[in-house]
Amino acid sequence: MADLKNKRIITVALTGAWPKKENNPNVPMTPAEIAEDAYQCWKAGAAMAHMHMRDDNGNGTMDVNKFRETVELLRKNHPDCDIIINMTTSGDLNATEETRQIHLKELRPEMGSYDCGSMNWMNSGLFINSPKFLEELGKNMQEWGVKPEIEAFDPGMIANAAYYLKKGVLKAPLHFQFCMGCANGIVGNTKNLVFMKETMESLCPGSTWSCFGVGHSAMEIMYAAVAMGGHIRVGMEDNVMYAKGQLAESNVQFVARAKRVIEEFGCEAATPDEARQILSLK
Amino acid sequence: MSWGPCMMYYHCPNCGKKFSYATDLIPEFGGDFGKCPVCHTDGVYEKEGARTLDDAEYAEVE
Repeated sequence: MADLKNKRIITVALTGAWPKKENNPNVPMTPAEIAEDAYQCWKAGAAMAHMHMRDDNGNGTMDVNKFRETVELLRKNHPDCDIIINMTTSGDLNATEETRQIHLKELRPEMGSYDCGSMNWMNSGLFINSPKFLEELGKNMQEWGVKPEIEAFDPGMIANAAYYLKKGVLKAPLHFQFCMGCANGIVGNTKNLVFMKETMESLCPGSTWSCFGVGHSAMEIMYAAVAMGGHIRVGMEDNVMYAKGQLAESNVQFVARAKRVIEEFGCEAATPDEARQILSLK
Repeated sequence: MSWGPCMMYYHCPNCGKKFSYATDLIPEFGGDFGKCPVCHTDGVYEKEGARTLDDAEYAEVE
């Protein structure tokens, strides 16, 4: 077995629910674009693809058929690609609790997002993850063999994950995604990342973690995560700008930079199979 | 699900300059957040939201 302590998992968040072509014309929107982008990012070093879907107008959707078409295209066109599929459960603020999880039941991805609390969203809407929904989703994900990626936008969501762990709704070892710099969430900086990590280690020892920063904190959070032993997420869901005044050309561009940072630090980007071992997926 | 940085857009009532700040920088700017980068007058709030291509009209204060 390879020395997994030296490995860092790159997750690429390809699309998200918000950026459209007017934000960045290079955002993949259709199942064909998303599937091809996942493949190219895998070749560039990503071990996991976090997937959202868009409807025909470019809006976020939880349409199971879009998820199915994307995965089928990826498997059909690129049978060599073993990237870990991680499907969102929060791709449309107006989706029902049923439509937020039916794709997990039908398609059984290896991972799915689990947003561990509610918040005001971008100062404009409600991002609701009710206790009833979280309990049902956690139990269903266990039954369906889909590992939750626990998205924590602030330390309270880590505490909430600990509660669900004690209740049996979630099963150890947990894997966290610290979402930093989002409006109404924790500010993205190294000091706060240390606090998030220490909170996790205190409340949910033995967990693995990844993180990303949106906007100005993107690079600081990436460098800090690599130095602190965490894994990293990049991609157009979180940032449509590659650098100040420079639109991202592709998700591959983000993945390639993340891989360079990891290697310059003296570590290596984990392969999907190495990531599966780190995350206890098999 | 994330949603990139939230931008707040202003114009200066004194010199007319259009400018924007990202809300994730509120801790860094403190009381200077929302001030005109040219004459330091408090800006007049116009709108907010995700970054768009017409942001070029506004000078981003960083």
